[in-house]
Amino acid sequence: MNGPNITWYLGVAGFLFGVGALGVLLRRNPLIVLLSLEIMLNGANLALITFARHLDNGDGQIFALAVMAVAASEVVVGLGLIVALNRKRVPLDVDRLSSLRG
Amino acid sequence: MIYGSWICLLSPLAAAGLITLAGGRITRRGAGYLATLSCFVSFGGAVAAFVSLLGRDAEQRSVLSTAWIWITGGTYRSGLAVLIDPLSVMMMLVVSGVGALIVLYSIGYMDGDREERRYFAYMALFVFSMLLLVQGGNLLILLAGWGMVGLSSYLLIGFWHERPSAIAAAKKAFVMNAIGDATMALALFLLIQKAGSVDFGILGGEYTSTVANLVALGLLGGAVAKSAQLPLQTWLPDAMEGPTPVSALIHAATMVTAGVYLIVRTHAIFEQAPKVADLAAGLGAATLLVAGLVALVQVDIKRVIAYSTMSQIGYMFLAVGLGAYANGMFHLMTHAFFKALLFMAAGIVIHALTDEQDIRKMGGLRRLLPRTFIAFAIGAVALVGLPPFAGFFSKDSILADAMDRGAFGYVLWVVGLAGTFLTGLYTFRLLFLVFWGEPSAFVKEHFHAPKRDLTGWTMGVPVAVLAVLSVIGGWIQFAPLWHPVETWLQSVAEPVVTPTDWQEGISSALAVLLGLLGIYVAWALYAVKTFAVPQFAFAQRVLEHKFYFDELYDALFYRPTVWLAKALFRGIEDPLIAESSTSLGQDTRDLGRIVARLQTGLVRTYVLAIASGAAVLAIVFIAVK
Amino acid sequence: MIAASVGNVLVWAVWILAAFACLGSGVAVVSFSNPFYSALALIGNLGSLAVLYLLLSSEFVAAAQVLVYAGAVMVMFLFVIAYVDPRLESPWAGGPGWQAIGGVLAAAALLVEIIVVIGLNAGGSLAHSHDVGGSFGSPSYIGRLFLTDHLLAFEITSIVLLVAAIGGVILGSHSRRSEAGVEPL
Repeated sequence: MNGPNITWYLGVAGFLFGVGALGVLLRRNPLIVLLSLEIMLNGANLALITFARHLDNGDGQIFALAVMAVAASEVVVGLGLIVALNRKRVPLDVDRLSSLRG
Repeated sequence: MIYGSWICLLSPLAAAGLITLAGGRITRRGAGYLATLSCFVSFGGAVAAFVSLLGRDAEQRSVLSTAWIWITGGTYRSGLAVLIDPLSVMMMLVVSGVGALIVLYSIGYMDGDREERRYFAYMALFVFSMLLLVQGGNLLILLAGWGMVGLSSYLLIGFWHERPSAIAAAKKAFVMNAIGDATMALALFLLIQKAGSVDFGILGGEYTSTVANLVALGLLGGAVAKSAQLPLQTWLPDAMEGPTPVSALIHAATMVTAGVYLIVRTHAIFEQAPKVADLAAGLGAATLLVAGLVALVQVDIKRVIAYSTMSQIGYMFLAVGLGAYANGMFHLMTHAFFKALLFMAAGIVIHALTDEQDIRKMGGLRRLLPRTFIAFAIGAVALVGLPPFAGFFSKDSILADAMDRGAFGYVLWVVGLAGTFLTGLYTFRLLFLVFWGEPSAFVKEHFHAPKRDLTGWTMGVPVAVLAVLSVIGGWIQFAPLWHPVETWLQSVAEPVVTPTDWQEGISSALAVLLGLLGIYVAWALYAVKTFAVPQFAFAQRVLEHKFYFDELYDALFYRPTVWLAKALFRGIEDPLIAESSTSLGQDTRDLGRIVARLQTGLVRTYVLAIASGAAVLAIVFIAVK
Repeated sequence: MIAASVGNVLVWAVWILAAFACLGSGVAVVSFSNPFYSALALIGNLGSLAVLYLLLSSEFVAAAQVLVYAGAVMVMFLFVIAYVDPRLESPWAGGPGWQAIGGVLAAAALLVEIIVVIGLNAGGSLAHSHDVGGSFGSPSYIGRLFLTDHLLAFEITSIVLLVAAIGGVILGSHSRRSEAGVEPL
């Protein structure tokens, strides 16, 4: 294969996952949290595609396409929630959404 | 015979059970009939056992019938056993016979009370317990009967439970009996340890003198408590709070004599512990003197008779302590007759005066209640011990036995003679104050004659029967000439002392003389009022306070115990136990509150938790791989 | 040989560009305080990822990435960001709270572990990739796989999308009751 070894691709995938995790943990705006979630999913996708290429197996690509479909659905629902929150004049801050506090 | 004795035992229990289970479905009078019938059936069973024992030789007169093995532990076996031998049959006859008469009397006496059914159930329970006690085939069954008798006594003393004085008296009786129960239990523990069983046969075994003394002491403790002897006598006068038939049955005829029975039954141990036997005799003598003195100043009709009971049981203890078992049992039997008679006659008087018991308000009832007066007079004369009434034959033999014991015995003899003088004095003081002279103002106002219907009949017949028995009951043994009682009990308890005829004669003569002297003094003071009653203020006070025993026990035992209980409550129960249970709940709640801090409600915290968990798991996977 | 080495260099160059763009835009998404800028950065991220997919011979997936993700999903995001109250949060104000420190540690730990795993496994199976055929990653290849080996996954994915669509409709609908009394959450 031309170009870098797949370990480089896996490293990029890992970094993407870590950056996305950081974003989910550190940001308070739920929109940014969803975006970070997307980054994590994309990191996982990259790893899948890399391994599909490495092993000459199309299953990884199929999986990646399924992940994409599920991510899209999840974004639909998440954004629907955010819009509903906004309609109720609830501040868009995950730290304030703590009514399930024990 | 075996069936007879089991029927005798179980018939009152069946009655008690039936009355309890029937509840409101039987009438109050019906409960009375049922209880009375069961007691007469029981008496029938006792007679059957007696007759069949008569037909046997003396050596074969001990039959143990075991229903089943009750307790086993290692090599220890204890059965639910019933012993049929001369001693137990004698007690069975007395208990069931006198008991049946008294329960019959109760039908009339308790007529109109709201809780008659409970009363008759308790009475039947008591008769059963007492029969269990005397028929018990081993010490354990005896102890079971002992405890149940104490329970029945408590229930019946406190029968009128709305009265605080009755409740207090019931508690006092029970607690003092419990002291005796404790010492008896300790004695039994020692016996089980040394002999490995509690059958009556082990009592004849050889024991070291320490063991025998300890066991005898424990048994004596129980006897003293149950029979209201010094120093555990203070509960008996207060027990008069119960209904009069209860006083007649339990605190005169049967339960208080259980101590005497116990000593006779376990006489083998007492013979191995002569010092304790002497102690028993000494306590009996002291009690008879103290009780006689205190009875001189009592103003409640029932209390006079109660102190008289205490005194007479002192005579019985004197007898069995000296080793004259047959005489003691004989006096027990005759005493049951005339004491129950006295109580029942007193009950008729009380009923006639609408429950008034203060003799200072009474007087002149001789003409208003003539037959009751005759009955009471018969009982009084029998109590004092004049021939040919019952008490003469039994009491004088006891005095004679005391002469056979050396110096200590002579002291007891003198005390016993003094007791006869006192007996004559207080008994006839009571008779004259209640029945003699003109009717007092109170009597004129409150007297109403007993009814002539069935209730009157049920009260009259037992009194009549017992009056007859008080006259002829003593004719069964006249010590120098013929003694079938002694022969009857010989196989069970051989007497240790045998007085000579000369000693018997002089004791009898002196006793009769002193009794007559007491009667004369009472006549002079209270009937014709020749002299005024002497007023010794100090003596009067001491006697009225019953020699300050109650105050002594209050200071010695009651107050420190209450203080200790309060201190323990403040120091231990409240801070430790109550606090620990409340703090258990509170600490759990606080712990929950701490753990609840994990649930912040923030998504970020949860995600952090997930991420950390994932990191840790990854490390684990890498390391384990 | 020269063509191979030139091709290699070319691939390397493209890879470096795409990779850096990917990582940079990822960090940008997380860092911006304005969500609009974050969304735009994510579009860049998705694009560079598509390039990486192309380098890995997965053409169809790259195309789907651009069409679905960058095209549909991000547009939805931008719509909602524009609709929602544009209050800017100040994410990096104040010192790092304990959550922030914990978060950084957890993420760093995950990253390190991934590197370690990659490094450890590098010796063995990750050394030599297989050669792939020409039709690897083509739409016909993917389509054949979807309709034969992974038919169930295909059908279920379609059901998931249907459910998401219904959910979106429900979440977005006005309900009379909720308009009247606004309860704080």
